[in-house]
Amino acid sequence: MLWGSYDMAVPPYQLAAQQLASNEEQWAAYESIGNFVALAGPGSGKTKVLTTKLARIVNEDVEEPRGVACVTYSNECARELKRRLAALGVQPSRRVFVGTVHSFCFQHIVRPFAGLGGLDVNSPIRVATDHEQDTCFGKGVANAISIDENPYNWRFTCSNYRRLHLDREAEDWYGSDKRAARIIEEYEKQLRTLGLIDYDDMVLLGLRLIEKHEWVRRALRAKFPVLVVDEYQDLGVPLHRLVISLCFRDGEAHSRLFAVGDPDQSIYGFTGARPGLLKELSARADVESVTLRLNYRSRQDIISASEIALGESRGYESANDDVGVIDFHHRKGGLADQAQFIADTLVPAALESGAASSLGEIAVLYRTKNEGDVIAEATASARLEFVRIDNNAAYPKTPLTRWLEECATWCSLRGQSGSPSLRAIISDYLGFNHTLASERRRLDAMHELVACLRNLGNGDIQFHSWLAAFSDSCLRSHLSVDPTMQQEIKTLDTLLAACESDGKLEDWTVARFGGQGGTPDHLNLMTLHSSKGLEFDVVILFGMDQGIIPSYRETSSESKREPRRLFYVGLTRARHEVHMTFSGWRDTPWGKKRDGVSEFVIELRKKFAEESQ
Amino acid sequence: MRISRLQIENFRNFKELDVEVGSHLVIVGENRVGKSNLLHALRLVLDPSLPDSARRLRLEDFWDGAKPLQPDTQITISVDLTDFEDNEKQFAVLSDYSVAHSPMIARLTYAFFPRPDLDEEPTKESDYDFSVYGGDDPTRLLSPDVRRRLPMDVLPALRDAESDLANWRRSPMRPLLDSLSGEMDEDAKEELAQAMTEAANAIANTSEVKGLSDEIKEALKTLAGKSHSDSPSLAFAPTDADRLIRTLRLFIDDGVRGISEASLGSSNLIYLALKLLSLELEISEKVRDHGFVAIEEPEAHLHPHVQRRVFRSFLRPRNHLPTQEERHEPDRTILLTTHSPHVASVSPLTSIVLLRSQDAPSHSTARSVIGAGFTVTETDDLERYLDVTRGELLFAKGVVLVEGEAEEYLVPVLAQRLGYDLDELGVSVCSVAGTNFIPYVKLLSDKALGIPFAVITDEDPRPEKECLAAKRVRSIVTTLFPEYDYSEGTSDLFAEAEEDGVFVTDHTLEVALFRCGRHKSVTSTIEQLSSNSKATERAKMWRDDTSSLEESRLLSDIEEIGKGRFSQRLSCRIQCMTSTACPSSIRKAIEHVVGQL
Repeated sequence: MLWGSYDMAVPPYQLAAQQLASNEEQWAAYESIGNFVALAGPGSGKTKVLTTKLARIVNEDVEEPRGVACVTYSNECARELKRRLAALGVQPSRRVFVGTVHSFCFQHIVRPFAGLGGLDVNSPIRVATDHEQDTCFGKGVANAISIDENPYNWRFTCSNYRRLHLDREAEDWYGSDKRAARIIEEYEKQLRTLGLIDYDDMVLLGLRLIEKHEWVRRALRAKFPVLVVDEYQDLGVPLHRLVISLCFRDGEAHSRLFAVGDPDQSIYGFTGARPGLLKELSARADVESVTLRLNYRSRQDIISASEIALGESRGYESANDDVGVIDFHHRKGGLADQAQFIADTLVPAALESGAASSLGEIAVLYRTKNEGDVIAEATASARLEFVRIDNNAAYPKTPLTRWLEECATWCSLRGQSGSPSLRAIISDYLGFNHTLASERRRLDAMHELVACLRNLGNGDIQFHSWLAAFSDSCLRSHLSVDPTMQQEIKTLDTLLAACESDGKLEDWTVARFGGQGGTPDHLNLMTLHSSKGLEFDVVILFGMDQGIIPSYRETSSESKREPRRLFYVGLTRARHEVHMTFSGWRDTPWGKKRDGVSEFVIELRKKFAEESQ
Repeated sequence: MRISRLQIENFRNFKELDVEVGSHLVIVGENRVGKSNLLHALRLVLDPSLPDSARRLRLEDFWDGAKPLQPDTQITISVDLTDFEDNEKQFAVLSDYSVAHSPMIARLTYAFFPRPDLDEEPTKESDYDFSVYGGDDPTRLLSPDVRRRLPMDVLPALRDAESDLANWRRSPMRPLLDSLSGEMDEDAKEELAQAMTEAANAIANTSEVKGLSDEIKEALKTLAGKSHSDSPSLAFAPTDADRLIRTLRLFIDDGVRGISEASLGSSNLIYLALKLLSLELEISEKVRDHGFVAIEEPEAHLHPHVQRRVFRSFLRPRNHLPTQEERHEPDRTILLTTHSPHVASVSPLTSIVLLRSQDAPSHSTARSVIGAGFTVTETDDLERYLDVTRGELLFAKGVVLVEGEAEEYLVPVLAQRLGYDLDELGVSVCSVAGTNFIPYVKLLSDKALGIPFAVITDEDPRPEKECLAAKRVRSIVTTLFPEYDYSEGTSDLFAEAEEDGVFVTDHTLEVALFRCGRHKSVTSTIEQLSSNSKATERAKMWRDDTSSLEESRLLSDIEEIGKGRFSQRLSCRIQCMTSTACPSSIRKAIEHVVGQL
């Protein structure tokens, strides 16, 4: 009987679970029934454990219409989780939230409860563009300090201060830096006068509502009896307090927590993230905790090297016995020399030796956009296609640009295999505009989009004309009515500007733009931060010089901890080979600075040599 | 969970309906007042079986007074839900749509509105669009979850219970039997099916049945010839286990008769019981988290005493069940529409939603008693009163509240003499059997049912002390207008109270009648009825010299006869006369009520 056999079919997540059974720690995570924290080393299959467990929870533990919220660090992480979950038969829905802590707070706390919770915000809530934030911040600094003060000098301090000092009524709000506190207050006042909130407000206001009102906590627990957190170490104090409020608050019912993370990979200290929070959580008596030790990604040499680099022994083991490569390349000619060596020598060699199965399996990782400029130029000269992710990239990776990449690929492939699903494209599109106040308007918007995509032509046409036509026919008007999408409209403008003559995307075709979504034919250029969570056959760490990593500002042993973890993150991205390039000096506005090779590289090289003897 | 408030604007009969409601709803009103329209309004918000094409309303669905249509005219229907916080599933579905907290209130709204992209004034149906949204944010479209998890079912008025029961697809038996089938052990089912087949074969194979079978075969052959013979045979229906269970049928009278032989009334009742049962089943099977069950005119085909018997307990908690668990109420909200006073009069007071039509412009409004703030005792008293009087108050257009049966007899007759036919006007004279007017006043006041009313009470003077009426009137007025403050004196108090519809009869009713010019009728009635010769002598004396009246004697003489009997006779006598004489309190009370109709 046909449907009988369908009925008997094992759900995909249970098939996936069979692969966890041989790993004791992974299996413990899959079988957990209470609060659970998995401390997951690099390549230890944490995403697999998390997605499989989440699928199980959705299917077995939580009864409709209640659901599960899965919160992670960035849009890119969320994108990856959604992709993996879809393969397990779990689609985001009203009862399954997958997204960043910002969108969770905005969608499920601030939007429904801001008015009832007595927050002083307009409805509908408008989210400030970067430019509006700058203007408000400038006025805030002028009001709080003086109009002669340069706002730029305060920006970093204040955003950090705002994320770390959460209790405005507490004594230390003014205590630790009165001027920063005053600027923040003035800045927020400026925003509110214009009826705006900013990106950090989503989390700060969400946390305020949840900590202040018992009924908000109850509502969230009713909706999400299970909270899943990915990349816990990167999520900072606000998320930690949100978790405590929902899962561990004395005298109240609790949601159940399933969290994974790795304190060793905590690299977002500047956003308020602290590796200690996850350790604290895993030490609680009411939390079961395991460490996922087995590394399925990297060969043993790479794992050993990374532990040396980290300066601590974690006892991680490789799941396979093959020998990896760790190589050091001293290029005396500075960054440009390193870059050319990478483009002309290292990359072709990696492809030729078979260490990397394709160009897309090679990543060049670096600290800042400055190194990004150098490697991008060298790569372009060597006529290699590349994807670049850093602040100087042609355009930022945002939900909108990611979606445009998908649309471009759809137009290029037109339903051939590998084509993105039109359904997903439509559903994202509708998600960009929250003001469609009836089913018919949603249908109209959908028809408009489909008609537009049909008429946009194929992958061979100029990206510029494609994007301009897309923007004019439906996209811009669709986005502009939603008060939360104003920054994305600016992003669209940035993208259009980049297509103009002399822009970085001049002469691009639609297919090439679509390829930016990730194809086997593009070399990956990205910052170490952006490489988080990714893996490649071959990793090339570029610009490993003292003064860059650690930076010339990071001089105390305390401040060197995070760049060390960043170095560790870079190393652990590799499956087969790691190459490091350095020159022993770097360019500064005041000329060459000879601070030598990065101390992390020296240390690693030394110990590595000792051990191999 | 329960509905706590309904608001409807510009929909059919309703210009601007806004009513707070209790747990269940008993929607009471005359024909054509909009009971079914009210249910339909709720369906637009809650019914998952209603297709979008039905949610797209038509121009004629706008309230007549809203035409011609203006750009800002829209139809909105809002349902407020509350008491869902203890049920986490309901809470999960509804919390995003909250408009209040502690306690949480979620609001679901249907709107039919001119499309925002129109350049000119809306003129035709296609200029309109509809949406169903939650909370106060029209862009927060209602998730399909809500209607799926908290659905509304409607049992229409003209249902044909018998044929629905007979039709498998529509039968309320279907979910119950399917669930039964799912629960039974497969082997056991097989065994039963086997036994059934054997028994069926045994009957089919008896020589008598076989004989008949052959006869039929032969008859057919004779008729149609050999070539056309379909070789018929006698047997029972196929005996697959699941199908077997589906063939289970309800019988009544201990299995003697089939449902088709039941009266229309009882098959309706059975249908209702099955429907509620299948709803409970769906909740226990976690397919839904709450059910709104609308039953139109459940009184159909039921005798009045059966209506009262059934609906007296229907909407009340089943307190007689011993343990907490058994007492657990199914999570459902019942919505009845009825014009039967028998159903209305036995329903819980808090469930009553009274629909009334208003004039100029013509529209219907709804009232309930939720805002009245009744104590438990008051509610008990009023429910008993409505029960005993068959809910007369609920259907009245105006009410004169009086102390006792004496007034009940006399007021309608006096009104008739004044030229008012209270029956025709729909005005009821209701005795509160005493002087505790407060619960009745609360019930009729604007805070509750909003029915025009007047109170007539006796002055009951006391020597050397304030009359008894003063305290009474003061408490009524304070109930109506808590900000009122009359602590001293009575003359101002009584004059002011008249504006609020409270009228004080000088001395007592009987004395006032005597004094208003009906002394002959009063005394003659005493003479006619009294067996006390001294009383009849006194009556004669008072008739001849009205100034000789001793009030307390008059009252005691009448009491000796019985106040009721006396007024009964007196009213007959008055009816035969043409005089319009009437105590001023009564005249004013009648005019007060009639003036507000």
